[in-house]
Amino acid sequence: MSVAEDAAVAPGGAAERSLSYLPPDRSFALFTDHLARRSLRGTFGDLGEQDLRVARNWQPSAIRPWVLDLGEEVEGYGTFRFPYGPFSMGVPEAGTFEIVTYGERVLESRPGFGQKSRGILGSLPGLSPEDAALRVERLAGPYSAAHASAFLFAAESAAGIPLPAQEAHVRAVAQELQRVYNHLHVVARLAEAASQNVGQAQTHALAEEVLRLGGRHFGHRWLFGALLPRGPLRRLDAPERSELTRSLSAIGSRFEALWELFQGSRTFVDRLQGTGRVTRSQAVAWGAVGPVLRATGVAWDDRLRDPAPPYRDLFLPLARQTEGDALARALVRVEEIRSSLLLLEQLLDRWPGGGTIDPLPPVSPQRGLVRCEAPSGDLVWDVSVKEGKVREAGFRSPSQANWPLFALACRQSVFTDFHFTLESFGLAFAETDG
Amino acid sequence: MPSWIGQAFRRGILTSRFPRGPASPEEVPETSRPPVLSPTLDPAPALSRATEDCPTGAIDPEGLHHGRCIRCARCTRQGFAFGGRAHPCASRPEDLYSAGGGPLPEREANRALAALGRSLQLFLVDAGSCLACNLEVLALANPYYDASRLGITFVNSPHHADVLVVVGIPTEPLLEPLRRAYEALPGPKAVLAVGACALEGGIFRGNPRTRAPLSDTLPVDLFVPGCPPTPLDILEGVLTLAGRGRGIQEAPP
Repeated sequence: MSVAEDAAVAPGGAAERSLSYLPPDRSFALFTDHLARRSLRGTFGDLGEQDLRVARNWQPSAIRPWVLDLGEEVEGYGTFRFPYGPFSMGVPEAGTFEIVTYGERVLESRPGFGQKSRGILGSLPGLSPEDAALRVERLAGPYSAAHASAFLFAAESAAGIPLPAQEAHVRAVAQELQRVYNHLHVVARLAEAASQNVGQAQTHALAEEVLRLGGRHFGHRWLFGALLPRGPLRRLDAPERSELTRSLSAIGSRFEALWELFQGSRTFVDRLQGTGRVTRSQAVAWGAVGPVLRATGVAWDDRLRDPAPPYRDLFLPLARQTEGDALARALVRVEEIRSSLLLLEQLLDRWPGGGTIDPLPPVSPQRGLVRCEAPSGDLVWDVSVKEGKVREAGFRSPSQANWPLFALACRQSVFTDFHFTLESFGLAFAETDG
Repeated sequence: MPSWIGQAFRRGILTSRFPRGPASPEEVPETSRPPVLSPTLDPAPALSRATEDCPTGAIDPEGLHHGRCIRCARCTRQGFAFGGRAHPCASRPEDLYSAGGGPLPEREANRALAALGRSLQLFLVDAGSCLACNLEVLALANPYYDASRLGITFVNSPHHADVLVVVGIPTEPLLEPLRRAYEALPGPKAVLAVGACALEGGIFRGNPRTRAPLSDTLPVDLFVPGCPPTPLDILEGVLTLAGRGRGIQEAPP
């Protein structure tokens, strides 16, 4: 039993006190602001409008402040709600869910936000982009490469600074390495939830090997500091690149052997199939991103739609499934492990000798907006820079976009489905609260 | 026919030789070592130059505060290098200060939980982290570190735990749950603060939304610095709490 569950059974105001939230940082206001000014490019022109709708639904709910409100109340005979968290079983992160239930069945599971807010966005104005990036990459450790490179690309676009071509390659290598790690981690967590003990141990071991590659070739297991203009300890030179290529191909073949066993495991496949289903229309209407969106059959990947410099010249197969359940999301991730390994092979093989890349065009003077495909989906950083210092910054993380879909996927599920749904989404409170 | 057992046998034993044997170079990446000022340099001017560059205030003109260091590598341009002894955990934050920027001295092992003998149950608590520390702590369960061979296991409730492992910089809404989690631990109990954020706030030190250091909220028995510390550092920290820490020996390259 978690600490807050203890509170839930205590009479009076104890449960109320345990749910003290802070409002999310300014990122949502900034996000809606820039959507109003600039429609997002894409296959469906109305995605921007749909994203706005998600943002509107993140207003404080009438019931409790800063609990995600989907706009309708679930009520009925014997229904009660209890807070699950913040230090809850099996969830590696602090975060409270407000669960509405009448027993076995979960009628609704609403995440509460703001408990982990470290006020990162508020601390950025006035810092140099390099100092700010140290904080940005610590928004969410497992996604540090995506956050740091999107932030730096946006700051460079705002200030009009050209980027060395090698630097763009280093950023792409770091992002793909982290994508492989994150997807392996999700597969391992799903295997853990499905009691596949050998499978989870072996997949966790593979994920550890990817972290060690970061430590070996970037000097840091989580690639902190590796993307900063003056930060990195290492520049991937030719012998290191061929060593990295060899290690990655070994990891790839070990993963294929594991995945063959996972596919043959009825326990694993049956447990994921049909769990936490999101329909295509829900995904589009609520602005889902990343593997959650691609698992419902929508072909959207920022690396293909709006490619930043190194991705333009590379071959990348699109991962897509149609079922929208936890299995489909897992299959998308597996496909992306393969495609990321393929991208890494190409990136390391076609290392640029020199030259620079022009910065992306700013959205308005001194303001850059960059979208990038983080491991769990589309990440947006919006940075304005004045006289070499950050003037204003905002982001929309994939977790922020996908929480409403998580709440929808939990509807009418049972308690034991909770971890499968949560893990297959790959959500983090850290990059939601900022 | 492929099978899980066959697969596991083919991979062989992955587990670290630590703590019985030396750690492999893969287990001690460059940034897991604390920065140390080159002994050939005159400390005073090098320290004052590095003070200006250090984003966390870990370096002052007198020395280096290892608990504040986030291993961002900026001071490597001012004569520092990641060359210190891996794992400088300490039971008092002031023990992590090295005057003059040199390596930290060896210390006595903390014996807060020596009475518990060989079995330790850990409960992980996230006070507001970026998730990297959480995952490094949980990595102790993977086959490469396999903490359960040392009697160290993770439990799902503070009621069953001996050690509260706290990661992240405490945020205001999580202070009360933190205190309650600590109270729920049966005695004898200990608190292990993992990572620069839990120690003194790391890069977020002084941010008005946070309540660093953790030691203002809970009685911390041992501090493990690093951003994030490697699983080996954390494992050594847990062993040190039980009076079984012997430091990390490294295999020659």
